[in-house]
Amino acid sequence: MIVRLVAGTTEEVVRALQESLEKDGLRVLRSRERSRPILALAGQTPKGLAESLAKLSEVESASKPMGELLLVARAMRELHSVVDVGNVRVGGGTVVVIAGPCSVEGREHVLSVARQVKAAGAHLLRGGAFKPRTSPYQFQGFGVEGLRQLKDAGLATNLPVVSEIMDASDLPAFVEHDIDCLQVGARNMQNFSLLKAIARAGRPVLLKRGLAATVEEWLHAAEYLAEGGCERILLCERGIRTYEKATRNTLDLTVLPLMREWTHLPLLVDPAHAAGIARIIPPLSRAAIAAGADGVAVEVHENPAEARSDGPQALLPAELVNLVAESRVMAAATGRSLHAASRG
Amino acid sequence: MNPAQRHQLRHLDGAILAMLDERARLLSQTSATDPLRGAAVDDILRRHSGPFSAEGVAEVFAVIDRHSAQFSLEEQS
Repeated sequence: MIVRLVAGTTEEVVRALQESLEKDGLRVLRSRERSRPILALAGQTPKGLAESLAKLSEVESASKPMGELLLVARAMRELHSVVDVGNVRVGGGTVVVIAGPCSVEGREHVLSVARQVKAAGAHLLRGGAFKPRTSPYQFQGFGVEGLRQLKDAGLATNLPVVSEIMDASDLPAFVEHDIDCLQVGARNMQNFSLLKAIARAGRPVLLKRGLAATVEEWLHAAEYLAEGGCERILLCERGIRTYEKATRNTLDLTVLPLMREWTHLPLLVDPAHAAGIARIIPPLSRAAIAAGADGVAVEVHENPAEARSDGPQALLPAELVNLVAESRVMAAATGRSLHAASRG
Repeated sequence: MNPAQRHQLRHLDGAILAMLDERARLLSQTSATDPLRGAAVDDILRRHSGPFSAEGVAEVFAVIDRHSAQFSLEEQS
């Protein structure tokens, strides 16, 4: 249950209410919201509690969000949250473009792609060092060396970097190489021990939707991160598995407007993994921004036919230039703005 | 003009203004006037086939350019 107190309620009153609820055996969490106190009551709440709380003069409302969502629920914030990833702010009325190679394929390669990502006006550099592949015989990524090469490319171009973490034991390497944003891939969305471990890392986490996950399950995975102490969470829709075979997955844009009502977290869309076909990524990206996404994540390769992973869904650098330009138009058309490109 | 048409025009005007503002924001991140600007406008006019007259479009762009000069970093410094 989420209890929103009247703006201006003194700390003394909030604490008294919190203590009284805790005496009744409830676990009380507090929102980081500054404009008003907001309390979240975890677990089973006694029958009639919402009605009793609503009668208090300091309580504006007491409501139950979807499932057992609390910290990521929309009611926990006055406004949708904005997440800083390095020098890039995600959410809050600007649109970002995340781009880079599916896999880091070598120092020169990732640096070259990073320069083109930067030149196109994209904002964050993505690149896989630990690759969750369907077959064990496919390229698995360069591991820690890949992280190093990605970070170096990010530093050379002043782009914050995003990379997927698959195993909690790799976390020290991600921290050591100062990876700006930890990505939890679709296959690990409900790997709760991984979520708990990275929640404490003090870094932004980009949480992709599992390929067979409902929105409720996805948001509860985000709740694991928030409950574990992660204050910067980005959600990323990347397509779900359906009976449709025309595309790799089905990009579920239908949930975006609803997600705005259910969570305050920024929403990104990865049309590449949904489509699996490079030429349909630009229209899907436009659709994602039109549907309210705070940004899109795409893959870029100078020679997709030679890419070590996911070549068919990689854009050429010139196509990325177009995609960023179109994203700007779509952002403006929906009353927002494209995030400023970083200098340097 | 019926109310729906008036409503559509208001939305289009809002979109035009949003695009102009976004264009200004982009210009404010650039450091110099674009020497290829004239060619770009010529190209747009060449491809243009809408009901708005070419002279009218050229005039609109001239006004946009005149009012946009202040936004580039070169002009701000």
